[in-house]
Amino acid sequence: MSQLMIADQVPGDELMASGHLACPGCGAPMAMRMVLKALGPKTVVVMPACCWSIIAGPWPQSSLGVPLYHTAFETGAAVASGVKAALEMRGDRQTTVMVWAGDGGTFDIGLQALSGAAERNEDIIYCCYDNEAYMNTGIQRSSATPWGAWTTTTPAAHPESNAKKDILAILAAHRIPYAATASVAYPVDLLEKVRKAKAIRGTRFLHILSPCPPGWKYEDDATVELGRMAVQTRVFPLLEVEDGVTWRFTAEHAGDAVEPYLRRQGRFRHLTADQIEGVQASVDARWAALERRVANGT
Amino acid sequence: MPEAARSRRVPELAISSTSTLVTHTGSWKYMRPEYHDRVAPCNQGCPVGIDIEGYMALLREGRLTDAADLLLRENPMPATTGRVCHHPCESACNRRELDGAVAIHAVERMLGDFALERELAAPPVSPRGTAVAVVGSGPAGLACAYHLARLGHRVTVFEAAAEAGGMLRLGIPEYRLPRVVLDREINRIRAAGVTIHCGVRVGSEDLPWGTLLARFDATFLASGAHVSRPLGVAGETAIGVRAGLDFLKEVNRGGRPSIGDVVVTVGGGNTAIDCARTARRLGARSTILYRRTRAEMPAIAQEIDEAEREGVEFVFLAAPVGFTLDGDRLRAIECTRMQLGPPDESGRRRPVPTDERFTLPADTVLTAIGEAIDPDGLPLAGTGTAIPTDMWGQTARAGVFAGGDLAEQPRSVADALGAGKRAAIGIDRHLRERAGAPLEHREPDALRLGGRGNLSMTRWRDDDPVPRVAPLNEVVTYEDLNPAHFERANRHEDWSLPLEAAVGGFDEVNRGLDRPAGLAEARRCFNCGVCNECELCLIFCPDVAITRRNGHGFLIDLTYCKGCGVCVTECPRGAMLLTREGLS
Repeated sequence: MSQLMIADQVPGDELMASGHLACPGCGAPMAMRMVLKALGPKTVVVMPACCWSIIAGPWPQSSLGVPLYHTAFETGAAVASGVKAALEMRGDRQTTVMVWAGDGGTFDIGLQALSGAAERNEDIIYCCYDNEAYMNTGIQRSSATPWGAWTTTTPAAHPESNAKKDILAILAAHRIPYAATASVAYPVDLLEKVRKAKAIRGTRFLHILSPCPPGWKYEDDATVELGRMAVQTRVFPLLEVEDGVTWRFTAEHAGDAVEPYLRRQGRFRHLTADQIEGVQASVDARWAALERRVANGT
Repeated sequence: MPEAARSRRVPELAISSTSTLVTHTGSWKYMRPEYHDRVAPCNQGCPVGIDIEGYMALLREGRLTDAADLLLRENPMPATTGRVCHHPCESACNRRELDGAVAIHAVERMLGDFALERELAAPPVSPRGTAVAVVGSGPAGLACAYHLARLGHRVTVFEAAAEAGGMLRLGIPEYRLPRVVLDREINRIRAAGVTIHCGVRVGSEDLPWGTLLARFDATFLASGAHVSRPLGVAGETAIGVRAGLDFLKEVNRGGRPSIGDVVVTVGGGNTAIDCARTARRLGARSTILYRRTRAEMPAIAQEIDEAEREGVEFVFLAAPVGFTLDGDRLRAIECTRMQLGPPDESGRRRPVPTDERFTLPADTVLTAIGEAIDPDGLPLAGTGTAIPTDMWGQTARAGVFAGGDLAEQPRSVADALGAGKRAAIGIDRHLRERAGAPLEHREPDALRLGGRGNLSMTRWRDDDPVPRVAPLNEVVTYEDLNPAHFERANRHEDWSLPLEAAVGGFDEVNRGLDRPAGLAEARRCFNCGVCNECELCLIFCPDVAITRRNGHGFLIDLTYCKGCGVCVTECPRGAMLLTREGLS
């Protein structure tokens, strides 16, 4: 088969409606749509403040075909723990409880609740769709913002000076049964990971890279392309971790140069050739470390 | 709580009661995605004008009969062209940029053999009472006759030789084109309603031109170029020096002339290669003498490779200047060393003689430096080296059309088949106009595949069986594709007869691909420019605005589409375009 035939592997049922309020070309609804296709209708979504709080639509509308519980920024994993407990008290052990949080609600503000839930191995799926800044409130940096990126709080004269937080390693360190990265550019890989997670009990964590046209400053049509470039440059490798110890790559990573990926995004426009070389070196170093992990376990 | 009270205030726990479908986000967009079928470069590159992409798409679905039908609409002899065509389609193939062109020739051959095996034939057509004469039964004549018959004209082909086929039978050796294949393809053309009279030389006492032109409503001249160009070197008339084409004709009729142990063929085209490989099969040491280098040889590259494999030797940058004779018996060919100068009008570097001389021993020298037409035998005055025609094949004389090697066009089987089809359309147009019943206005450029390719019979007849969505007559380039969605897959290479068996006789050397391999090769096709319902647009749409349409293709719900263009960018094959909203 010379063409990648994806259609056969994507369920046709839609649990997300048109008319949602995501920006044109947004990766976040692509991610939600695929995740719900894999989870099916017996799902409750718990959503701390994030872009999706808006995307879901103003009251009395909802763009989801499953129950969606909006909650406060820092509480996603805690509320989901409670929803799961309440369902179990009513004898419902089938319904999947999923947190749907952005990078701000995961890497920064919701991290303590997530860590607590992971420590208790709550029976929830936690999805972080990561667009690498607080995009909904006007593109403020988060601890998911990559080094060198422009945001409104890290202007080009003083761009982001910290490396992106390694959230997967943090979750893996909690020894939860399943943690994985995924991308909107690889829908089949994403679906397979969600199906796998759904079949496991305990805390499951999915970190989904979700490119953002206004926040990353690129043309609306390039979301999937940038998602693909992020994987193929090894900037955002596709991985899964079982029980915190078994690390595995789930895709081929060509190891393309990072420069074209960075140059496609206005948020990196100010980077000098030396700085891009530095990004390349850090991507290479992180990749080497990942390869050791995959080869040796933790 | 009563329903009326509930609606008056927001409850303490706000619960949604409607979906976002009430929000028509389509009003945000300033760009609009549209599906447009465009033209694959192979289709434009094919001198015959075949919908190659179309039959590849049908083969992907396993629809062999439908694929063969689509192919036979444009090409009456696919089992022949699959074997002997120089396949410029493959040079145009976008897959070259990824991992090698699709082996279109091998797929066509597999499909052509399938059509012969199943005896697939054109549906019968009721004749319209117009009679057309075709002079010459080579590929141009046969193609013209076949297409005219399918268009409802009564066609009679006159062939001077004892059997139909022209150069396909007389010029091309059997190890490239088994006669059983040629015979069966000609039989299918006969079955389409074409009458072929062999052994009739038009213009002779048997059938003077005046009689012919008076008896038929239109005439297509396709008698080819059979006059071998002389070398223009003293001693050319010696025993042992002969025209390569005459040699091939003799062998192809079953003759086995005595040529001695050492044969030198002069020339660099397909006739030269055919002569040299045939000489090998007659047991001779065989050498090709060519005045330029391998890179400039006009012969099909694969044929040059095969010749080399079979032990044909090449002497490049050398031209004959004389012959060493022993009485009137040839002993050797005298040559001068050439060097390449500045490019000539053909774009190739012109060979320039040097002072260096050498001789090659030779029992036989075959000349294959090109063939000319015989203008004296034609009903057209003042014809030089080729008959001029317009794009419909119409000559200066009303109702008389011409094509193939007679006309000004590249001398290949595919170009001849394409010219035959062009003339069939031209004659159909001419006769319809004469009868006062022209087809609706058909722009010549709109009939051309991609605007620069050959005319499409399907477009002329306006009966395309392939569903088309807002088609544009533009060729899709590699830059229009999204190669990320294609897996690398090696091209399937033809299977060839082992060397000893090949040189030991006239059995077919290239055996092509078997059906499973041919079908697998067809799946390598990108289907450039034509939606094959891969669904990537639907899957990646962030706004769930794309749905399957009943029957074929997709619908974009412009009420919700925000015009991001992800579908257009991710379309693997360039079958979508982004247009400015409201200005399309």
